[in-house]
Amino acid sequence: MVRFENVGMRYGLGPEILRDVSFTLEPGSFHLLTGPSGAGKTSLLKLIYLAERPSRGAIWMFDREIATTPREELPALRRRIGVVFQDFRLLDHLTVFENVALPRRVMNELESSYRAEVEELLSWVGLGNRLNAKPATLSGGEKQRVAIARAVVAKPELLLADEPTGNVDPDIGGRIMRLFIELNKLGTSVLIATHDQRIMERVPAQRLFRLAEGRLTTANAADAVLAEAKRA
Amino acid sequence: MPGDSASGATLHTIVAVMSFLACLTLGAVLTLSRLAADWTEGLSGSVTVQLLPSPQISPEDQMKEALRLVQQWPGIFAAKPLGRAEAEKLLEPWLGEGNVIGDLPVPQLIEVTLTPGKPVELEGLGKALADGVPGAHLDDHKRWNEELASFAASSEAVGWAVLLLIGVATLAIVIYATQAGLQAHREIVEVVHMIGARDVFIASEFQRHFLWLGLRGGLIGLTLAIATLLGSSFFVDSREAPVGAQYMPQFVTAPQHYIWLFFVPVVIGLIAMYTARFTVLRVLGRMP
Repeated sequence: MVRFENVGMRYGLGPEILRDVSFTLEPGSFHLLTGPSGAGKTSLLKLIYLAERPSRGAIWMFDREIATTPREELPALRRRIGVVFQDFRLLDHLTVFENVALPRRVMNELESSYRAEVEELLSWVGLGNRLNAKPATLSGGEKQRVAIARAVVAKPELLLADEPTGNVDPDIGGRIMRLFIELNKLGTSVLIATHDQRIMERVPAQRLFRLAEGRLTTANAADAVLAEAKRA
Repeated sequence: MPGDSASGATLHTIVAVMSFLACLTLGAVLTLSRLAADWTEGLSGSVTVQLLPSPQISPEDQMKEALRLVQQWPGIFAAKPLGRAEAEKLLEPWLGEGNVIGDLPVPQLIEVTLTPGKPVELEGLGKALADGVPGAHLDDHKRWNEELASFAASSEAVGWAVLLLIGVATLAIVIYATQAGLQAHREIVEVVHMIGARDVFIASEFQRHFLWLGLRGGLIGLTLAIATLLGSSFFVDSREAPVGAQYMPQFVTAPQHYIWLFFVPVVIGLIAMYTARFTVLRVLGRMP
């Protein structure tokens, strides 16, 4: 589904934020991306949701090599990805309903075709009574749930979340994680960038990607390197 | 696009002012065109014989003799004596409708129509009239025609140039406003772009917003311009107008001229719409 090969990335003429990043996400997988602040987690997610271009290396998304994919075909790939931004990025002039329905609207779907689904989804995240509220009137946790509902409303094959529990209390954080696990069980691949220790403890080590100083290691790879070092 | 903001209100005002100026300029250009047409219409393809009172001949004999001479001259299609009412009508382009003073000494006139495409020896005719009919004088309008055509053409050219400048200024303002709007709503554009919106979808949102903005601002300007034009006509017709104002040509008197003015907000709206589309697509083209 997603394959990175020796990907490097820099902003403008600045230093490389990501170096020789290689990994694969299989369909239906569930992974966490961890690392200290400034390690490049958000930049890596931006590459996956096609908001940035790599400065070197190759990226395959849904069996398409991105560098050779025509620009006009990228929106169709983006629609297969749901993103929960760290700062939610809700549109303040739209209501909760309109924010969540936006991915369906940009697909030129008629409101009648998605209205019931959006309402059901908002009820599922506990916001069935806030359909017409504007984001400015919502709490941090409510905004988070609107952002999640927007990310999943178009039934994406891949769900990316950037620090989804960073702005909410532990109880809501737990509910959000259960929501992601449920979506994963339904077949959606999930990649969550987090440095929340409680989340990491709930996920098997082989599902952990660790990013430090722009380099990515998997837990398995790290263990292998450690074992190799011990043998030497 | 979010609804109207403070910057949107400012933009409305600017577009309304540009529309107002464009309508007034277009009105002036149309008026000039009409005046030029009025001035030259009666002058080309015809000449006029003026019969000034002379002690040597009675007015009736003067008219009879002049008509006889003109009608037998080669290349003359028709010669028609004009009554006083018709002579006054000829003065309307200069003096305005119904404004000829009663005791103005209007000379007897003969309107002479030339045969189209046939050369006429006008110089000889003038000499024959001057020699044969006391007080007769041939006016071939040539000097007037040339001067009027030159004046009308240059005035119209200035009018179109001003209209063009206003169009360019409107275009520049709309481009600037669209870019400012994009900058202010960059967050929205990015989010919508990232969730899979095609460029044309985002551009269509902006172009619709700016089409309405252009139309609304343009209509406000048009309304103000029509009020100004009607107000000026009313003022010229009123008793309070200064002496002589009645003889001035009125702006935009024909209904079809008002129809042309209605195109101004439409054109402004379309300029705004296509500029917004072009600008948005250019900005989006720089995104991955």
